[in-house]
Amino acid sequence: MKNVIFKLFVFVAVASSLAFIGGCRSKNANDADLYGSDNLYGDPLMGDMPLNDIDGLPADGDRSVVDPVFFAYDSSQVNPEEAGKCEEVAQLLKKGKYQGVISEGHGDERGSREYNLALGERRALAVRDYLISLGVDPTMVQTKSMGEEMPSDMGHDEGAWRKNRRVEFALY
Amino acid sequence: MIRRLFIGTGTMAAATTLAQRAVVERAGSGKIGINLAGYRTGSDTASRTFLSVLKADLNRSGHFSVTSTGASVNVTGQVRAGSMMKADVQVYKVSTRQRMLGKSYDASAKAARGLAHKVADEIIYAVTGKKGMASAKIAMVGNRTGRKELYICDADGKNLRQITKDRSIVVGPDWSPDGKNIVYTSYKRGYPNVYITGRSKPLSSHGGLNASGTISPDGKSLAVILSRDGNPELYTKSLRTGRLKRLTRTRPGIEASPCWSPDGNHIVYVSDSSGRPHIYIISKDGGTPRRISSSGTENVAPDWGKNGYITWCSRIGGKYRIVVGNPAARTMRTLETDWADYEDPHWAPDGRHIVCSRTSNYRSAIYLLDTLKDSPVALISGSGDWYSPAVSP
Repeated sequence: MKNVIFKLFVFVAVASSLAFIGGCRSKNANDADLYGSDNLYGDPLMGDMPLNDIDGLPADGDRSVVDPVFFAYDSSQVNPEEAGKCEEVAQLLKKGKYQGVISEGHGDERGSREYNLALGERRALAVRDYLISLGVDPTMVQTKSMGEEMPSDMGHDEGAWRKNRRVEFALY
Repeated sequence: MIRRLFIGTGTMAAATTLAQRAVVERAGSGKIGINLAGYRTGSDTASRTFLSVLKADLNRSGHFSVTSTGASVNVTGQVRAGSMMKADVQVYKVSTRQRMLGKSYDASAKAARGLAHKVADEIIYAVTGKKGMASAKIAMVGNRTGRKELYICDADGKNLRQITKDRSIVVGPDWSPDGKNIVYTSYKRGYPNVYITGRSKPLSSHGGLNASGTISPDGKSLAVILSRDGNPELYTKSLRTGRLKRLTRTRPGIEASPCWSPDGNHIVYVSDSSGRPHIYIISKDGGTPRRISSSGTENVAPDWGKNGYITWCSRIGGKYRIVVGNPAARTMRTLETDWADYEDPHWAPDGRHIVCSRTSNYRSAIYLLDTLKDSPVALISGSGDWYSPAVSP
């Protein structure tokens, strides 16, 4: 129970700090300072964890274990109702059921392909950050952006787009 | 006003050359009438292909109207082909009989189209003093095999051929400054890495995202979007030493689609650090970027032409349209297009035309737009989708 409350606290802290930074973006703030001085959860490296070199890393895994995390239009924020899926993945990794996970970011077909590649990566990184905040070893989480190149729903309406703005968990 | 400014500056680039050339009067359409009726061909296919491709190139250039009456420029000579082909070309100003071009060309008969493109560009230069685009090549992504592969075609949409056979996904091709190779992002090894044609080792393969690679005009650096430090940011990478320089710090904002200025001192790119994707210019050494787009809910995919103008794609009234901006004068205008979505604009080497993708009913094709007055021309359409065009320098 205590553990659940702590996790909830961490999540709220992450979500509010993301919202806070989001609000400051237009001021062109130096985000190193921002994270250093206004960090709310005691991990100054949060979100700045360099990624592994990909040499020798698996490029795919089992995507059927945990459902994808879905996102709002042009957003990379992990919504509270989607957070449980990240927690499920964190549990699996911490229990040693898998060696690692690829956080695979996707976007819908609107917007430029190159912008959507970066946006997909941002989503994958937001999920990675959250997994790390839940205590997952950063070296166990790799990111991969597919941009708009691999939609899960081939439709061209809001229903399809909602399903395509996602991060899939490829566990290996 | 902006339109006239645009024409004026375009002309200025070639002003020195133009001053020494005969000024040819333009017909009522604003085009120079050019007559090829006196140009003789053999009865072989290669010779006839040469002449028809040459005429089509001259018409497409925007400068000329090929006509048999009332022309102000005459093209005479002959083309003959066996296994080799020989074309003699003379270009005269009708009013003074002044010769503007007189040259003999040799090529393999198989290269009839390529030779016609070369001759077209030389006629355009001889008469107008401006660089043509007929010899340019267009790189693009196509999905007709069910995978997303790299293709190239000639500037008239012909001679289409598949370059990659990776059975993977290719994104965002761009030409090297020498026009000999293409830089692109591919998932052929599972993760998005940046490659160049003719070399199997990637140019950039850090952890996370490697995308939107583009080589500086001096050939020494790669501008690229990387997420290795925890957020998608703009970097430059020395192609000699591999040294990385990070130019932006915008977490949790993202950067995309860098393109070098013609002098190689600046980079134009997309950032959503203001909350929406906009176009920014930053020094190649970093520093404070300057935003150049103001309207539109999305501004993406900038391309900085040798003419100094930046073209990009802007979402205006729910449609993607093509914008041309002058970063020095801080002016911009939106090209007149129909109801379809026009995206991924790329300057042709003539500094006048823009190649882009046009999407209607969820199908994409490659189109040629004239920034001055001519109607859009479809270059590649059908057999799947074609998008992300890049024109060789």
